[in-house]
Amino acid sequence: MASMEPFNRLVRLAARAFYDDISMKGDNQPKTSRGDNRGMAVVVLDALTRRQWVREEDLAKSLKLHSKQLRRILRFFEEEKLVTRDHRKESAKGAKVHNAAAAAASDGQPVTKEGEEKVKVHTHSYCCLDYAQICDIVRYRIHRMKKKLKDELDSRNTIQHYICPSCNKRYSAFDALQLVSYTDEYFHCETCNGELVAESDKLASEEMGDGDDNVRKRRREKLKDMQQRIEEQLKPLVAQLERVKNLPAPEFGSLQAWERANIGAFANGDPSAADSSRNSQGQYGTPMPYIGETKVEVDLLGDGVKEEGAESGKNGSELKVLPPWMIKDGMNLTKEQRGETSKASKLDEKSEAKDGKKQDSKDDQSIQEEYIKAYYEALRKKQEEEEEKRRMQQEGDTFVSDSQSERQVGKKYKREDEDEGIEWEEQQPTGNTTEMYKLADLNAEAQESGDDEDDLVWEEG
Amino acid sequence: MFFHIVLERNMQLHPRHFGPHLRDKLVSKLIKDVEGTCSGRHGFVVAITGVEDIGKGLIREGTGYVTFPVKYQCVVFRPFKGEILEAVVTMVNKMGFFAEAGPVQIFVSNHLIPDDMEFQSGDVPNYTTSDGSVKIQKESEVRLKIIGTRVDATEIFCIGTIKDDFLGVISDPGAAV
Repeated sequence: MASMEPFNRLVRLAARAFYDDISMKGDNQPKTSRGDNRGMAVVVLDALTRRQWVREEDLAKSLKLHSKQLRRILRFFEEEKLVTRDHRKESAKGAKVHNAAAAAASDGQPVTKEGEEKVKVHTHSYCCLDYAQICDIVRYRIHRMKKKLKDELDSRNTIQHYICPSCNKRYSAFDALQLVSYTDEYFHCETCNGELVAESDKLASEEMGDGDDNVRKRRREKLKDMQQRIEEQLKPLVAQLERVKNLPAPEFGSLQAWERANIGAFANGDPSAADSSRNSQGQYGTPMPYIGETKVEVDLLGDGVKEEGAESGKNGSELKVLPPWMIKDGMNLTKEQRGETSKASKLDEKSEAKDGKKQDSKDDQSIQEEYIKAYYEALRKKQEEEEEKRRMQQEGDTFVSDSQSERQVGKKYKREDEDEGIEWEEQQPTGNTTEMYKLADLNAEAQESGDDEDDLVWEEG
Repeated sequence: MFFHIVLERNMQLHPRHFGPHLRDKLVSKLIKDVEGTCSGRHGFVVAITGVEDIGKGLIREGTGYVTFPVKYQCVVFRPFKGEILEAVVTMVNKMGFFAEAGPVQIFVSNHLIPDDMEFQSGDVPNYTTSDGSVKIQKESEVRLKIIGTRVDATEIFCIGTIKDDFLGVISDPGAAV
């Protein structure tokens, strides 16, 4: 937003140039000196240059204007294409979200907020300057002004009227065909055959007494003078337009896009804010801008899965290496599951592994989930069996070293979870063998159902 | 602007044409009647390009004439305000000049002629620039912009200007010879 200032200056100049004496009065209201609100438009535009998207109520409050009055001005500017407005139904929460976004946009500066609203859906209007359009509009306006004057100066596009001096009958250029005379080069009146004169010339001769040239000249001078004054008075504005021409106009996007962007920045700093916003979205079902943000998160994890999958493919082991804390006495494990894969078997499985790469990775995730859940359960139930645990722990330790060496070959990203699990396992050992059978069952189940549903479950978790 | 449209017309045919060439007669009469006419609504009928449908004839009592409803395709030309046309100057006088673009008559009054062009009366009245490089006289071809049209039921008359960028003489008959 470093390039805001020239544009704001442009808006302020344009406001003073064109909207200085705009009075926002209804036609039916009598004009009193007290109700004279000329210059209000300038104040509103100035206020808008200091804001981005702003709730109209807030703006009205900070300008100490009646909201109706402000709305009338804003509607006028909307018609003038200077301001974009957005209306949406939202609850108090939604308004808070906007405030959060506004606060984030103005570098943590809190926006004055109206008193507590009920949890009721209101329609709120927001407004914002549309800088790109303002540049075009101002340029167009100036162009139109100049063109109109120039056309008038050249008396272009005006249909000449003729008048008969003797019988005062008026004709327009459309009648020219009937008026033309073949005896001389003038138009002649149809009724009295008098010579017609162009209307402005006729008036001129009446007023001035000395021909058409003089009046034309006078009008011309007046127009020229006006042209000159336009040049002079709009000079700063034109200069500013020129300056701004090559700068990229500040673009806030739509209200939602703007809020999303600012909340996004906000959420990065403070995750709890993003959480609360998500809650409000879920609760009220209003179209809130955070869906995109959440999606991004999911995508990131999805990427992680892919990465992991690829690396597990490299690893070449289709059968999962069981985490050491899963391995208990009495389990019927293959070598691969214990993480003791021989090189030869890895090679054999390589082609298979590539096919099942993706599914494998999903399995990885879901199985880990299952393990953790089951593990918690087991822990709760079996805490009294101390002796058993000790024994388990020792055995677990031996396998930790094994799987760690395996891990270095493989991936790093998601394994951190596993590490946590391992550490934790070392502190608080697991239950007995019967529980372990259950876990083994879960394991098998999870490996079978590595489909999309599993994936979804995992995402929500 | 030209348009290709379908129009309908009730044709009355004399009984003497009844015979093997009735249809041809009808079409040739249609062409004779319609081409070159002007209707305020559609503009000038420039040419008939085809006959779509000839309905059932109805014998008119007393006269023996038969009325056929005929649907025909034709090209029409209708001038519009703001349209740029090329036209041939037909007459020049002190008030301006007249020009024709096909069937359309256009009048350009003297204040819609660039200020640097002055009227020169004489044997061949014309508008000439002070340096004499550009001359508008009879038979000159000019490009002009229509700034007004008067559309009557059977007539269209236009007012044009050559006081704008890229308008004015496009070929000078004196220079061409």
